[in-house]
Amino acid sequence: MSAVVLVTVLVAGGVYLVLQRGLVRATLGFVLIGHAANVMILAAGGQDGREPAYVGEGRSSAGLSDPLLQAFALTAIVITFALTVYLLALAGHGGDDDGAPSDVEEEAADEH
Amino acid sequence: MTLLLALATMLVAVVVARPLAYRLGRDAGYPMAGLFLLALALVLRGAPEVLSGGVVEGRWTWIASLDVALRLRLDGLSLIFAILALGVGALIMAYCARYLSEQYDHGRLYMLLSLFATAMLGMVLSADIIVLFVFFEITTLCSFFLIGAQGLHQAKPATRAFVVTASGGLALLAAVLLLWHVTGTTDLTAILADADQVTDSPLAPWIGGLVIYAAITKSAQFPFHFWLPDAMVALTPVSAYLHAATLVKAGIYVLMRFSQPFTDFWWWTFVLVTIGLITTVIGALFALQQHDLKALLAYSTVSQLGWIVALVGVGTQDALSVAGLHAFSHALFKATLFMLVGVIDREAGSRDIRELSGLYRVMPFTAVLTAMAAMSMAGLPPFLGFVSKEESYYAFLDLPGTWGLVVGGVAVLSAAFTFAYSVRLVWGAFAGPTQQRRLYDAAPSFLAPAAVPAVVGLLLGLFVAQLNPLFDRSVQATVLAESARADLRLVPDPLTSPAFAMSIATVLLGLMLFRAREPVDRALQRLDLRVRGVDVYDRAYAALLRACDRVAAPARSGELAPHLVWPLLSLVVLAVGVVVLGGVDGVGPPVSRPEDWVVVALTALAVLGLCLSPSRLGAVVVLGVVGFLIAAWFLLLGGVDLALTQMLVEILTVAVAVLVLQRLPARFAPTPRTRRVGAAALAVAVGLAAGAATLLLTGRSGPTAAAQWYVEESEDAAGGTNLVNAILVDFRGLDTFGEMTVLAVAAIGLLAFLRADAAPDVRARSMDLPGDRTVIRSAARILVPVICAVSAWLLLRGHYEPGGGFVGALAAALALVLARLPRGADARSRLDPAVLLTAGLVVAVAAGALGLLDGSFLRPLTGSIEILGLDLSLTTSLIFDLGVFLAVLGLVVAAMDRFSRGATPTGGAIR
Repeated sequence: MSAVVLVTVLVAGGVYLVLQRGLVRATLGFVLIGHAANVMILAAGGQDGREPAYVGEGRSSAGLSDPLLQAFALTAIVITFALTVYLLALAGHGGDDDGAPSDVEEEAADEH
Repeated sequence: MTLLLALATMLVAVVVARPLAYRLGRDAGYPMAGLFLLALALVLRGAPEVLSGGVVEGRWTWIASLDVALRLRLDGLSLIFAILALGVGALIMAYCARYLSEQYDHGRLYMLLSLFATAMLGMVLSADIIVLFVFFEITTLCSFFLIGAQGLHQAKPATRAFVVTASGGLALLAAVLLLWHVTGTTDLTAILADADQVTDSPLAPWIGGLVIYAAITKSAQFPFHFWLPDAMVALTPVSAYLHAATLVKAGIYVLMRFSQPFTDFWWWTFVLVTIGLITTVIGALFALQQHDLKALLAYSTVSQLGWIVALVGVGTQDALSVAGLHAFSHALFKATLFMLVGVIDREAGSRDIRELSGLYRVMPFTAVLTAMAAMSMAGLPPFLGFVSKEESYYAFLDLPGTWGLVVGGVAVLSAAFTFAYSVRLVWGAFAGPTQQRRLYDAAPSFLAPAAVPAVVGLLLGLFVAQLNPLFDRSVQATVLAESARADLRLVPDPLTSPAFAMSIATVLLGLMLFRAREPVDRALQRLDLRVRGVDVYDRAYAALLRACDRVAAPARSGELAPHLVWPLLSLVVLAVGVVVLGGVDGVGPPVSRPEDWVVVALTALAVLGLCLSPSRLGAVVVLGVVGFLIAAWFLLLGGVDLALTQMLVEILTVAVAVLVLQRLPARFAPTPRTRRVGAAALAVAVGLAAGAATLLLTGRSGPTAAAQWYVEESEDAAGGTNLVNAILVDFRGLDTFGEMTVLAVAAIGLLAFLRADAAPDVRARSMDLPGDRTVIRSAARILVPVICAVSAWLLLRGHYEPGGGFVGALAAALALVLARLPRGADARSRLDPAVLLTAGLVVAVAAGALGLLDGSFLRPLTGSIEILGLDLSLTTSLIFDLGVFLAVLGLVVAAMDRFSRGATPTGGAIR
């Protein structure tokens, strides 16, 4: 149940932010939605087994968490990072394709 | 098999057209004609089988599971249209070889014409309705390129012809899919064998209506007739082949092919006969009005096609057999006439009857051939055109009650106009005083392709009884009855039959129109129709574009939010729909523990703060807090590697974001209150939808079968005890490789987007730490090597314990950040991001390629070596993980390098 509330909160916050003006807030919202997706992927495995997914001698294989979903989420985290960095590059250096007034344009207005 | 060979021969013609034309110039038409004749001969090898009552088949399976195959099938009906397509095609090719000027893109023309002929042949031979549709569409495309071949002034006519006929193609697609739905097969033979099933289906009017629409657009029937005269901007051979003899017959073919299930419906007969008669009368009337001989022939074609459509509408055995016959005879005389008009145009320099006069003295052969074809068109004995016209009258009179008389009367009227414009054509060009005395008749090689169909039209008229076996088989294939007979004869029997009287009336009426040609012409020239098809089309087209403009307006905003609102709203609607309509099994909710809720509550607070923060820096810091809370949640669920990765990513995200924020104002631009409220409402709705989805879709509490498999098999199969890492680098290595590529693309985007050689940004200097840097420099000196060591350790042990390439690289990136901080903004990184990225990908590919030694890409090879008494087990997975490490590091270096130095956008002028 905690996953449900967590996803709700993260998605709501993320959507609110992407609907604001400027690409920086949209990027922040995008990161939140990425978190929500990862939580949802992990929640698909249930929350019963919570032992770290390591096997080998002297380790019990009972109650392990789902390693496949963790692998998915881990990949997703790194990809989200790559996209975030790219979006930040656009936000900080891009032109006005974010619509008026973009973050950069505001800054230009501030200077005048 | 011969059918497949015939089709293959035509494909060869398409392929060799350009090389041949490159070698031979316009003379390439002769070898092309040879290929057409070869294909025709291959088709005709099946003719004896067809004429003796059989069907020739060919088959090449394509998608077996979907029952889609290239099934070819030659029966009587396809045989007639195949002969037309290939026979006339060969003549046109030979004609092109003399008609075209030396300077022309011959290769393109020959290629498109053969491609068109291939499609036409494929369409009439295909026994699969989907394949039939595909070939139907290819003919439309070829027509577009052939009409619009020469320049901008042809763009509009070509587009009109394309839009009209392509809309018909869509209708045919819908009809084909409905037929598939109703009968459960795409096999034409099976569908027609089970025609009653289609007739009884409630969808029959839809299918029939769609077939009619497809046919009347393709065959230029009222009210879509306008595209055909318009398309006469094409070269004369193109007009002769496509827009007289074959392409427009594709609609007729489809109509006849699919007519059987519908002939008993009153609407089928009513619609087709009405449209056909209107078209034939107005077409003939417009033809009589024209001065340009090519335009006259174009309207004549419209008129004759209307005649055939009306015959198909009548739907009796006689009518359908004569429809095929008229399509055949029309192709012969109309191809002749188009080619001869082209000859006149080339020799006399005009095709306007107001400028031509008395050509019979200087061009006697042309005159004779034109007269022969025109007599066939006018319906005079003993030409084939007479037989088809005469038989048509019988068919029209077969309509029940007064309908027969009415339709017959209109047909006589149309035929009388036809007679009149046939005479107008011959008279206008050849009669009167000879003005251009220095002209000569065209070369025999130029006239020969036109002479062949003219003579054939005469011979087939004289010996029309010989055609009976062919047209018997054609009508049997159309009406699906073995007993059907075409019963063609030249001399009507008895001579007192009403049809013969109608023929005589036609000629008399036509002669009267000819006698009164001057007043008739004056009256027709004054005929000024208020409504012209082309104008209506243009207005409708413009209106459609305007409507599209309005529909698309919301998607044209430069802002992000207007684009996102629609998919987000759809998501909410979808979620509500799923909940309302049900269809999701209730599942038990995931089990939670009290400590989970602490994380959730803190996250909720942080997200709220993030949304409300007016300060950019504050927001980024809170974002980092959220990331750490998520990492904590992962940890609570047992995802150690996941949590480790998440924390490192979060630190780096904040570091990069701070670099970017240096050049932006400290506070966010204010958002209007209404927008904030709207965004909040939508956000809550989408959040609830996502939450509901999580609740409904992810509630299983037991471990998945896949997870169980990994738990049991990983150590043996991959030699790794860290299951997550084993999955990443062994089991799903290809996924990880794809993900590395995504990273590389993002990094390359950064490198391309932000120039490396830009001068350091003044504002970016604000990232330089204020005051004395001694402390941080000293700290970095100690910490950087330590972090690097930890990073290497994480990488090496990743297969067995928490760690791996991702985590290791992120740790190394931290070292980079730390090393960079005391060095100022304009210091260059000693690591080249491009080299790191390339090295990462190359190493990963190399590790994968090593796997090929053992049979497949990315299969890990394991072995152990003993170094200094330590038994080290090594696996190529580790090399692959090193590739991951380098790629991730490359991305971070790219970001740090470009952001911190205050690079400006490439080109600089984007803003």
